[in-house]
Formats: sequence, structure tokens, C-alpha cells
Amino acid sequence: MLFLIEYDRQRGKIITMTSFEDLDRLFAEESRLELELDRNKKAIDNEVVLLEASSEEAVRRTHRRYFEDLTELATSPN
Amino acid sequence: MLGAQLSKTQIDRLGDRLREGRLEDADLRALDAYRRAFSEAYESVIQVIREEVGLEPTGRPAKSTKSIIDKLRRESLRLSQMQDIAGCRVIVSDMRSQNEVAASLKRAFDHTSLVDRREHPSHGYRAVHLIVTNANRNVEVQIRTELQHQWAEVSEKLSDTVDIAIKYGGGEQDIRQMLDRTSKLVATLEVHEFDFSAHIAKRGYRELPDDVLKLQSSFVMQRHEIAEILDEIAEMFSEKGSSDALLN
Repeated sequence: MLFLIEYDRQRGKIITMTSFEDLDRLFAEESRLELELDRNKKAIDNEVVLLEASSEEAVRRTHRRYFEDLTELATSPN
Repeated sequence: MLGAQLSKTQIDRLGDRLREGRLEDADLRALDAYRRAFSEAYESVIQVIREEVGLEPTGRPAKSTKSIIDKLRRESLRLSQMQDIAGCRVIVSDMRSQNEVAASLKRAFDHTSLVDRREHPSHGYRAVHLIVTNANRNVEVQIRTELQHQWAEVSEKLSDTVDIAIKYGGGEQDIRQMLDRTSKLVATLEVHEFDFSAHIAKRGYRELPDDVLKLQSSFVMQRHEIAEILDEIAEMFSEKGSSDALLN
């Protein structure tokens, strides 16, 4: 699965997350670009990233910083 | 594809404009195309890792624009030299597994270069990175133990919410010292656990003798110490990190 994540670094929070099936890779890539162009036009300085994993659980484990706050990251190894 | 058509000079000029913070739509589209030029190599590497090595990595087909710009600004490298435009990450339990996974991945690919950040940490960041060169493109495979991963995620979160300089060795002295100390404790613990498991395997004890049991329990204490410092960091900075006041 593919996960398109828009993340506000200063707040440390995900603003939007959209998932795509593996076969929709091109659409996911286009969506990533369109989101980035839109945010740039609106002068919104969020991080936009596309991740690929077997499940949402997997992406939450390998990219914890997007999903967890500092307390959660610090208190639980995984 | 545009990315494949851009010359090295054009790519580096694009990098220069990004570094200066001039984000025109045309440049974002050109960067997107350049990143997509890594797709073939990325997909091939992911497929080998899944099918031949039997691991389930989380892939990041293209480094985010924000991360690319940050890297261009803090390092004196050119966009065409960036080795982690495409990459993926694998989390393993401990150093033994980390070594085994790194060795398996090295065997699975013809052209690799290993960066062992356990021996040479980057501002406390420890991991093993394998750069796989495929179809003339580099794909970075990050192999982290759970403890290395936890440290890295805490450090990155602090960089996001408190001070971006933290990730690159800067930031307030107290937080820097706590992160550095935790990183060293993780390193020591992981090496001890690695040696310990090798010793146990070699001796083949039926029952662990007292001194070995004592050593084993010291690892639990060390893990507690690491957890306590991370808790302290979270207590000190979580409120600050989540404060909307930072946005004003």
C-alpha cells in the first residue's frame, strides 16, 4: 500500500493522510505532486511524503515520528 | 521522462534554486520528475529485498521536497550527489540481526556501499545504511535496531517541534547532552548484548551461571536508564513541542 502523508513539522502532526493500492502508484505520485503544488501556492510549509508499506501498521512502526507525539516515542520502544 | 533528460548541470542548478528557497511550480515539477527517474531502481531494489531476502521494508520512493531543501542547505553537496533520493527502511531487533540483514542485502545486490553509522555516528544517529546502485541510480537502505530507531525518531521529532538544529548536532546544550548520552548508552548496551549472545552461543550453557545471570540483569538496568532519560526529554520538551504558540 502507498500512503500520502502531509505533515506539519512544527506541530508534529499529520494534517492529511491518503492511502492507495499498489496498482495506483502513478495516481499516488500525481496526487503527491498536486498536493505539493497546492500547498506551495497557498504558502503552506508542510512536508509532503509518499511511503510504501505492507500495511498502515507497518508504516506506523517504521515512521513513528509522523504518528506519535514525543511522549509516546520516548516511552515505548515500539 | 524529464528527470532522465535533465543534465547533471541542470539538476544541480535546480538544486541551487531550491537551496535559495525559490519554489516555482516549474521547479517543483522538475524535481518531481527527477525523483521519479529513481523509480525503476527503487522498485527493483524493493522487489529483491521482499522476494529474495524475505524482508518487508517500508519504502520511501522519493525524498520529500522539504527534506531535500534542508539537506541542500546544511551540507555542501549538490542535488545530483544526494544518495538518498529514494530509499527504504528496515527495523530489526538487535545488532546481531542488523549484521545478518546487512550481510544478506550485500549478497543480494551486485553494487553496494556500506555506511556503518554505529562506528561513526552522525550527531548521535546510529544505524547501518547500505547504498545500492541499480540502473545507475542509488537507493539507500536503512537498517536500524529498535533502540537505534527509537533514538532516531525522538531526535527527529525534537528537530521537528523544538529546533531543527537538533538533528544535526545543534540545539540547546541540555537536550544535546541528553541525546548524546542516550546514544552512547544505546551503543554500549547493544555491543554488550551482542557479545553476551555470542558468548552464550559459544558456551552452550544448559543453565546460566550466576555471573552470567548478573550480567544479563545489568542489561535490564541499562535499558531502564535509557528509558528514563528519554522520559525526561519527553517531559522537558513535549509541551513545548506541541505548543501552538510556536506557530505564532
